Amino acid sequence: MQSTEHTPAAPPVEAPTGEKILEARGIHKSFGPKQVLKGVDLDVAKAEVLTILGPNGCGKSTFLRCLNLLEQYQQGSVRLKGELVSEGRPENHQPSAQEQTDAQKLRQRVGMVFQRFNLFPHMTVLQNAMSGPKYVLQKSDEEARAIAEKMLRKVGLWEKSPCDPQTLSGGQQQRVAIARALAMNPDVMLFDEATSALDPVLTKEVFKVVRELAAEGMTMILVTHDMDFARDIAHRVVFMDGGIVAAQGTPAYIFDERPTEGIRKFLEKG
Amino acid sequence: MWRYLVDDIKIDKLIVAARWPLYLTALSMPLAVFFGLILALMRMSRSRLLSWPATAYIEVMRGTPLYVQLFLVYYTLPQIGQALHTDWLTLDSFPTAILCLTANYAAYEAEIHRAGLEAVDRGQREAALSIGMNQSQAFFLVTLPQAFRIILPAVINDAIAMLKDSCLASAIGVMELLKVAEGIGKNSEVGLPNMYIAAGLLYMILSLAFYFLGKFIESKLKARGGAELHIDAHH
Repeated sequence: MQSTEHTPAAPPVEAPTGEKILEARGIHKSFGPKQVLKGVDLDVAKAEVLTILGPNGCGKSTFLRCLNLLEQYQQGSVRLKGELVSEGRPENHQPSAQEQTDAQKLRQRVGMVFQRFNLFPHMTVLQNAMSGPKYVLQKSDEEARAIAEKMLRKVGLWEKSPCDPQTLSGGQQQRVAIARALAMNPDVMLFDEATSALDPVLTKEVFKVVRELAAEGMTMILVTHDMDFARDIAHRVVFMDGGIVAAQGTPAYIFDERPTEGIRKFLEKG
Repeated sequence: MWRYLVDDIKIDKLIVAARWPLYLTALSMPLAVFFGLILALMRMSRSRLLSWPATAYIEVMRGTPLYVQLFLVYYTLPQIGQALHTDWLTLDSFPTAILCLTANYAAYEAEIHRAGLEAVDRGQREAALSIGMNQSQAFFLVTLPQAFRIILPAVINDAIAMLKDSCLASAIGVMELLKVAEGIGKNSEVGLPNMYIAAGLLYMILSLAFYFLGKFIESKLKARGGAELHIDAHH
């Protein structure tokens, strides 16, 4: 399904312009002797949609998890709206209470959507969407409910609010997970292979929501295996290989010109 | 038949005595579940200062008979207390039974809690953290409620076991069901075997009550979505 006649919706830009939301510098991450990230630099501008591609094991998911400190990286730094929000720490570092609070504050500003949805099965759809405003932002039930309703309407699932998550299709569950993350009003949304567990039909409905968010100006970083989608939605495509950013540019540049041998191999296999 | 039950077996006295296994279990089991959770968290802790004592406690408690524990607390602790010139270590038979049942079963509940907590998908905690919850919110609002659903059948199972183990309290003089049944059997023509059968049947009825209570709670939780239910992912 290689779509060469496709022209990207947004004007191709090489580097992000405008206000920088996120700046990652020299991110190094190891799991024991295995070095997964070897110095990743990445800037993301406000309202930019960025997709990260790369072969399995290139570190793209790990990088995403480092951005909200689900993984602690060893070297480098991350800035959010210019503010230093995390730094590299030694591998077996036990975070202090202050560091845990800082990580918590950071995660409140960075939404994440997981491959396996991870909705809370003991809560209804509405309670899932309310959980951030209610428990984290300490809003009243009424306020939290109003926020949750707005977000569930946005993903088109308000009518499912009294249901248990496991009665929903995978695509619907993922849309609820997006609503749950959006309810925290994050500065940036991270999508970690958000459609890899879904069939093409369900994938489409999730992509539709992501497109609408992009149109509203949400800043997003998506790790995906769906090349057509990556090309279609991204302002910029980042190709990771061997733990570094091997190439980046407009979708047309990455997909049509295939600037490196690594990209050629990767795209031919896919 | 009715005359036999009332005049010879003295069923009314047995039924009154049957409240003791119920009291002992209803008090000790919730305590054992509570302390079991603390032990499980200690054992799972990365700090050896916490995990080692918890592991030692669990293995000692599981490895020694409840009968021995009851005797040590009821007879030996007061002697130690005398040597130390204090009454603090002298306990009545009923508190002794509560203490020993709780302490003993907490070790088993700890292992059940551990299995339950480990069975909850890691992604649940990550999702909780990702929306900005702190560690204890993620634990108490997300992980623990799901673990509880997973362990509930095992906990009910242990409650039934405790109900029957509570008859050991008769050995330190708690006038519970078995003790009363023996007393009736020794002083009448019904004979001990018949009284043991009668007591056994009453224990069974109590066990069944616990079983149905467990089923009821499970169905209540199921209606709100079970923890073992997952996703229809194609992986």
